[in-house]
Amino acid sequence: MANINWRTINVDAYDPESALNFPITTLLPANLPAPSTSAESAQIGQQVRQLLRAGDSLGALQSALETAPLAGDDSAKQVHHATVLEVLQGIRQSDVSRILNEMLKQPGGTALGDTLMKYIYKGMASGAGGGGKGMSPQATGSGFTQIQARNFGEGGGGQVMSVLLSWHEKLTEVVGVGGIVRVMSDRRTVAPCTKLGRHPSNNCQAQ
Amino acid sequence: MAAPEVHHLFHAPIADHSFSADRNTLAVARENNVDLYQKSGKSFNLQDELRGHDKTITGVDIAPRSGRIVTCSQDRNAYVWEPSKSGEWKPTLVLLRINRAATCVRWSPSEAKFAVGSGARIIAVCYFEEENDWWISKHLKKPLRSTVTSVAWHPNSVLLAAGSTDGHARVFSSFIKSTDERPEPSAWGERLPFNTVCGEYLNPTAGWVHSVGFSPSGNALAFVSHDSAVTVVYPSAPEQPPQAVISISTQLLPFADLLWISESEIVCAGYDCEVYRFSGDASGWQLTGSLEAAKGGRPGMEQREESALNMFRSMDLKGRGGGVEDTKLKTVHQNTINTIRVYQDAGGDVQKVSTGGLDGRVVVWSL
Repeated sequence: MANINWRTINVDAYDPESALNFPITTLLPANLPAPSTSAESAQIGQQVRQLLRAGDSLGALQSALETAPLAGDDSAKQVHHATVLEVLQGIRQSDVSRILNEMLKQPGGTALGDTLMKYIYKGMASGAGGGGKGMSPQATGSGFTQIQARNFGEGGGGQVMSVLLSWHEKLTEVVGVGGIVRVMSDRRTVAPCTKLGRHPSNNCQAQ
Repeated sequence: MAAPEVHHLFHAPIADHSFSADRNTLAVARENNVDLYQKSGKSFNLQDELRGHDKTITGVDIAPRSGRIVTCSQDRNAYVWEPSKSGEWKPTLVLLRINRAATCVRWSPSEAKFAVGSGARIIAVCYFEEENDWWISKHLKKPLRSTVTSVAWHPNSVLLAAGSTDGHARVFSSFIKSTDERPEPSAWGERLPFNTVCGEYLNPTAGWVHSVGFSPSGNALAFVSHDSAVTVVYPSAPEQPPQAVISISTQLLPFADLLWISESEIVCAGYDCEVYRFSGDASGWQLTGSLEAAKGGRPGMEQREESALNMFRSMDLKGRGGGVEDTKLKTVHQNTINTIRVYQDAGGDVQKVSTGGLDGRVVVWSL
């Protein structure tokens, strides 16, 4: 009896009403795309890169967003995220507004706009400094994180950030604050699970 | 469009408000009490205070015909207040048997029962039992998985729509043998024992549902959720997939409440502090505009004329050259609008609506 450390028992797992046992699948709509693996994401990435190289930026962006692995596993999401970032960086600044307007005019365009906004926020979260927000939240004071960001800001990180910021500005003009609210409230995410989730969030199962 | 009537009652949030049938009495939930205002001329004056609850009141509703007021609060209780001849209000406690806060309450159109949504994942449907002279509550439990944020009645007083923080809007049957008559068969169902789920609807983006509402005929259901979307559902037949589920994703901040003003128009209001209209039918819905469109012409021009003087004055006083009016919002409400209710309707089409918000204002809009 004394061998069992009672304090390590997770009582919440036994409570049917606790947040841990909330069936997250009930919050996902029935029309999710099929779960995909990183191999499939890599294939899609190849096709998208071909379109981009061929000069069809609208087609590349559209196909990248339509095939977003909303129900895939973490590695698939990561691979696809890299693909989308490539597409965003590959499109010239002057073309951005035109491409956005064309993409959103089509039926189903608002859903694509929402997916794009999700990728932009995901990119901003992991862009500057390689995981500024992904790490523990209370590790350093705000002063230190600013310095960190500034140091990594030069070079690769800063370049991605400025591209993302300009896309964000143009996209907000078209999608409005509603699009940003939907990024925060939608359960179908394009980002791999963050490790600091205290309660089940996104598509992760209970820990 | 006539100008809206603004009643700035106090500087505290209004959780819920309700007008009496003759629109001369306004009940406003203010922290732990309900303030009753009486109309005199063009403004409302404080007449009475209903004290009884221990915690914040989350819902108030006045029954149009009987004049009874029902209030529910975070102290897990609900009171029914009866007006007496001497002008005093006599409270009757209703045992809801919930172990979390009550979040919303509405009288049914027949006024024989009312529904209380709660954080205990339960809707308590309460009716008056003559033999015991007491309000009894029956619970709607399955399949609610999280806090109920709002309830709305169908015109037949049996079907109840509930929005919840699990992202779903559901239609239940709350048929009670002793109080209700058997409802006519409708697109929602035919034989409807208590706690039948007639429909469960989910938005693809699955935000918390803030408010639900049936259309005036009861043949359509609309709900607003936290993902800045308005969804309208047209059922086809019981146990069948609906005829149409139309979801409008807006570019605005989320809405907190909605109201059907006719079979093809809805007004919604929320975190943008403005009231918006939507119109459409089973084939599609779109945003048609804001009720505040009339404003902005004259005040803007006056601002521009005196802005040079005021700009330098404010630079001197406050150290910044900002506009004079940049501490106030351009909308009538200065904070989130919480509730929209019918103020005046003539033969099915609503002509005036009243909104209450976190800024302590109750505003009556003409449509």
